[in-house]
Order: sequence, then structure tokens, then C-alpha cells
Amino acid sequence: MSSSIKNNKQQVIDYDQALNTYLAKDEFPAQDITIDAGELLQGFHPDNIQGTMTKLLVGPNKGDVCHIQIANVLQADARIDASDLAGANIEETDVLVIGGGGAGCAAALTASKAGAKVILATKLRLGDSNTVMAEGGIQASIEKADTPQSHYDDTYKAGHYSGDKELIKQLVMDSPDNIRWLIQQGMQFDLNEFGDLLTRKAGGTSHSRVVYFRDYTGLEMMRVLREAVENSDIDVRHYSPAVELLSSESGSCAGAILSSLKDCQYVQIKAKTVIVATGGIGRVHLNQFPTSNHFGATGDGLVLAYRLGAKLRDLDSFQYHPSGLAFPQHLSGTLITEGVRSAGAYMINALGERFVEELKPRDIVAAAILRECAEGRGITVSSDDAKEKMQGIWLDTPGLEKRNPGILKQRFPKLVNLGLKSNIDLTKTPMLIYPTLHYQNGGVVIDNNGLSTVSGLYCIGELSGGIHGRNRLMGNALSEIISFGRRAGVHAANNRSSRGYKKISIDHISQWRRELMQKEIPMKSKSPILFPDYAKYDADTSNHCEIYDL
Amino acid sequence: MSDIQKDNLTAEDVALSINGHFIKAPQSMSVIQALWHNGYPRVKGVGCLDGVCGSCRVMVRRSNSSELKMALGCQVLVEENMDVFFLSFSAPSHHSYDLSEINTSWDVQTQFHEIFPEAEKCRHCHGCNQACPKDIDVELGIDLAVKGRFRESGELFVECVMCNLCMTGCPEFIDPNHVGLFSRRVTGYFHTRPSNLINRLEAIRMGELDVSIEDDEQLQS
Repeated sequence: MSSSIKNNKQQVIDYDQALNTYLAKDEFPAQDITIDAGELLQGFHPDNIQGTMTKLLVGPNKGDVCHIQIANVLQADARIDASDLAGANIEETDVLVIGGGGAGCAAALTASKAGAKVILATKLRLGDSNTVMAEGGIQASIEKADTPQSHYDDTYKAGHYSGDKELIKQLVMDSPDNIRWLIQQGMQFDLNEFGDLLTRKAGGTSHSRVVYFRDYTGLEMMRVLREAVENSDIDVRHYSPAVELLSSESGSCAGAILSSLKDCQYVQIKAKTVIVATGGIGRVHLNQFPTSNHFGATGDGLVLAYRLGAKLRDLDSFQYHPSGLAFPQHLSGTLITEGVRSAGAYMINALGERFVEELKPRDIVAAAILRECAEGRGITVSSDDAKEKMQGIWLDTPGLEKRNPGILKQRFPKLVNLGLKSNIDLTKTPMLIYPTLHYQNGGVVIDNNGLSTVSGLYCIGELSGGIHGRNRLMGNALSEIISFGRRAGVHAANNRSSRGYKKISIDHISQWRRELMQKEIPMKSKSPILFPDYAKYDADTSNHCEIYDL
Repeated sequence: MSDIQKDNLTAEDVALSINGHFIKAPQSMSVIQALWHNGYPRVKGVGCLDGVCGSCRVMVRRSNSSELKMALGCQVLVEENMDVFFLSFSAPSHHSYDLSEINTSWDVQTQFHEIFPEAEKCRHCHGCNQACPKDIDVELGIDLAVKGRFRESGELFVECVMCNLCMTGCPEFIDPNHVGLFSRRVTGYFHTRPSNLINRLEAIRMGELDVSIEDDEQLQS
């Protein structure tokens, strides 16, 4: 990101100068801007940065293009050998769910309710996920003028007509019932005086369709689902990342190997079906972008599913959320909900001008911000130690508050807190924002029940691909995790009467290693990486986790 | 500390102690970032890094103060002479319930006292309030729930991230945050009945709303 700044010879507009320009203006009329979407994306969307893509050499997507950093994680060696399993206990269950976010919890609850014995394994604590950080809301066409067809059309269009039509249809038809299901788990939503659900409009949509709880929608959802899981028969394994999937003789997925962060012991879970819901991969910081993602978002499930033979799609497409906090530095990348723009907040450049319709789809808005910065109309600010320069554009919260007195406190308490932490009075000073790596648009190819191309292996939530095509709408991620979480849970539970697999192994790893060697791919790095490198996890395991890290 | 790490120290760095280790870090860092910056591993007890998951529970003592404060590590910036201790996560709540086993909203109060029998024994010691990193009036929330005012009680817990610090602070084992969440959940479960949603569900059930996925060209034009 900083390269575009360095290469830019134009005059730099600093924070104070830009703030004075902003404060001197009373009104920010909409500019008459015609945008050539294709040109803008091609020129400024981070997916299109020259020299960052490569072709995969091994696995089911051999020949497909993806980011070099993704390829490095996918085409790495496994973390374990057959010898590691000699002392590892084997436990059995009907359904193994890997991942403790919203999708994993929805799947586990549904499978358990259907009568299956369920183990839910999560890398950190139950609920440590991107779900808990979701702010904007969850889509469901419930307003009179709106229809599932409009929801379908908007989703398909925003994804650049490349999504899987059957999956999108499933999503939009399920969405209203997802809200009912969540209410039955005890989730609250913002309601009007008559008790009807309030909705807001997502960027790139034709109707007001996002239901929400303040800007804490994910927090409210996650604490309710976590409590529901903890009050059920589901056997939860905290601090237990999956490091490899197990395969049966016929190549089906037959369970997984968990590694305990507490005692560094392996355990083999033999399962009739496995539901992987490990989320996205923002913590690899593609193109060195900051990320809004949870600490654990390292694409573990993507790696494991791929190694076992699951087909992936749209891996070259990521979402950069337009409004990540750019400054102060220690909060850089923190998400500011699209709900703020939906409520009417403008985006303003260093010249005090609006430069894009604020509610265009996310990829367009993010690219437009990057263009402002690249062409010298961004606001530049130095870090505390003056070592780094950061850029961004204004999010006009003072204007929003002026037009709707009280709205910030009432609808966006999390944002107000973020202002306090940044030492900014949001009602007087605009926030500096810059796109933040937010979402993996593509992922594992699935069917309407979340089943991947590998028998017995379900992949749901951000890990899967197809629904959002090449760009996701606000509120469709939470819809997806509940919709496909519930579907996978029921479908997987229906397999519980089968006998299960006779033999479980990690034989697929040998084949994988042979392929890596044939292609002369260095096997120095291992995956899944489990944690970002700055957390020093792999340095830690050598002295068995416990010395420093309680 | 390695030589490389020493080189990274600048005049603006502050010195503090984390889990008994002497550490220097730039003022703009949270205590978690400061640990990483110094090459110490920190994996467990790290979560969203956004103040909403409740994983990174720390005990903080600031310079010239004997008071111990509870906080979330991702939200605490380093300060000169600060003492920080990471707390391991507490055992789960010993209270258990299933919303679907509460038959009607008339039964909620009776059921509440069976599920959380300790709640009415609150001795108003303020332990929960002092432990809360979000400044929630937890104690008042317990009072309201005991009186059956669940909607009001739940409103107090809007910002609760379920860090369980108030559980640690409660001598009566009330599990106050779980009481707060119970209050919120019964309110949603029994009292959220939005007519716009119900009408839409009915229309879908009657087959009045279907989705056609055939006319691509029309959409793209």
C-alpha cells in the first residue's frame, strides 16, 4: 500500500491542511461523477496489482490463478507425519464441526437438535471469530416492496454475474427464516415502535434489506449462539485447531486431527461427517494491507480441504472494505460499518470534495478511495514515530450527526467507542479511513447443503465460495453463515445412522508431498499456518506453549 | 532480548512489565502488540483485537496507583511503569438452561430463580461492577432480573462481550453476565414478533414468492 504513496510525485496534502479545508465547507454536494467501473477496478482494485498473481501447480485447481501469498499457504507441507499419530487417542463422533464462529455454531446446534452426537473444535475460544465483529447486519427481504427475487438480483449483480445461481437462490429463500431462527435462539434486533424489524440499505442494493442490532449485530448474534451451544449437549473443544483432515480408504473425509494449544498433544477425531467452518484468511495480510479480520483468520480450512481434494473457486478475488480506520496507527484496519454510509455519511477527499456515490458496491468504493490516494487527493498523516506515512480520506460523521441529531449514539455505539479510543470527537472531526482487507469472496465449491466435492466434507461460511461471486454485499455474510450452517447441520446429521469408516488415515498427505516434490516446490513452510507470524506461535511450540503464554 | 530488538528501541518508547517481564514499546501499541513487538509469543488470550470477543483479559496496575483494574488487552495502550498480567480464561458457567423448555413467558420468572438460584443472594459488594471492562452496571442488572424486569436488565448488557470477568469478581457465583444474557435472550425469544417478518414467512410458505434464475441478459442490460 505504501508503494503507491512513494511512487507518487504529486504534492502531499497533510492532515491539518485537509482538516481546515473540510472545516471551511458547510455543504458537500453530490458531484456529477460518471465512473467506468471496469476501468476503475482494473486500475485501482488491489486484486489487480501487477505481479501479485501466480498459477497453482498442484491440487484440484492446478492451473488456476491466485495471489502468491495464497498459493504459498496452499502449496505448503503438512504440519504432521504419520509418526505423530502413534500416541494420539482416537475418539468417535457422528458430526465433527471445525470452527467456533457463527457458521460452526449454527451447524453444530442444528446437527445436535437433529439427534447427532457433535464435537465442535475451535482454534481459540468458542465465538472467537469474524462473526463477533460483524457490524452492519444481516440481509433478509422482509419489507413489503422487497422480494427474494430482488435480493437474488442484487446479490448476483454485485458479484459481477459470476456467483452460483442455485446457491444464491437458496440463500435468498432461506434468509427470512434465518431471522426467525435467530430470534428463537434469543437474539434481539432493532425494532420500530410497533415491534417491526428495522432495515437499512446496503451499498449496491435496490431495497432496504439489512436487519441489525445497533452496530453490534455480530456481537449480539455470537453471544447468543455461544450460549446456546454451551447449554447444549455439544462437546466443545477449545484451543484445539485442526491440523489435518483424516481420509477413509475411498478418499472420503473421515474426521480430523486436532492439536491442543494447552498441552501440544494430538487427538484424532473419527467422524461420519465433517463440517469445516474456519472462516477467511485476512490475517495473511494480502498485499500488506491491514485487515479487519479476527486474529485466527488464517485460512486453515481452505488449506485442509484443498489438500484432501476439494475444488476451490474465485480464489483470486478478495474484498477490501472501503472503511477501515486509517489512523491512529495501532487501530489501523479496524472496521467502520457500512451502516454509517447507509445512514447517509459522505466520503470526502483532501480537497473537500465527494468523489464517488457512497453506496456503490464495496469493490467500486474501495477502488475509488485508492484512486484518490494514488492521485494526490488523499490525506496524509505520519505515525507517532514519524517512520510511516498513512493515507486516507474523510468519513464525514459530523455531517451525518448534523443532519440526524443523536444518530451516532443511538445507532452506532461501537463507532462512538472507536472515536473515544482514537481521541476524536466524531460529531466535530471526521475519521480518516482507508480500505482494509475484509473478506474472501471465493472459496470451496459447495452444493446447496454445503457439501464440497469431497464426500463427507462440508465447507460453510466465508470458507466456501460461489454465493458472493467476485464481490459481496453488506449483510450477506451473516445470512450465508446461518443459512448454510443450518442446512449443513441437518444434512450431516442425517448421515449418523451410517456405519462410519473402517480405516482412517492421513495417506493423502504422502500423495500431496509427492506432487509438491515433482513440481519442485520448496517444502520449507508448513500449513495451515494457524496464527499470523507476528504472534510467534511456531517459536512458542518448541518450548511447549506454556512458559509465557498462559 | 536480542540485539536486533534493542536496536528497535527509541527515545519515545515506554517501559513496563507484562507478566513479570520487562518490556519496552512505542506508546501507540496495545499491550498485546507490545508483547509481539518484543518477540514474545502470545496466542491464547488473543481474539478479535477489536474489543468485542472478551478473550484478552488483563489485570492492570498503573504507576503511582495501588488499584488493580480489569481490562481487555487489545484495548489497553502501554504506559510508563505499568504492570500488566494476562488472565487465563475462567471455567464455563455452571448454570444451564434451554429456552425451549420454558413453556410460556408467564413462567420465566419462576424458571429464572431455578436456573440462577444465587442471583437473589447478591450482597451488593460491587465486585462485578469493578471487574467490568465495559463499565456496565452489572449489579443493577442482577437486581432487575431478580425482580423479573428482564427487558430492563438486558438493556444494561448491550455492550457485554462475555469476558466473564464479573464471574471472577462475584463471591456468590451468580455468573452475572450469564444472567444478563438470559435476560436478553428471554426478551427476544418471547417478545420479538415482527409483523413484517411474519408476513414474509407466510408468503414464502404459501409459495407466493419464487425466484427465477433464468433471465441473465435482462439483469445485465
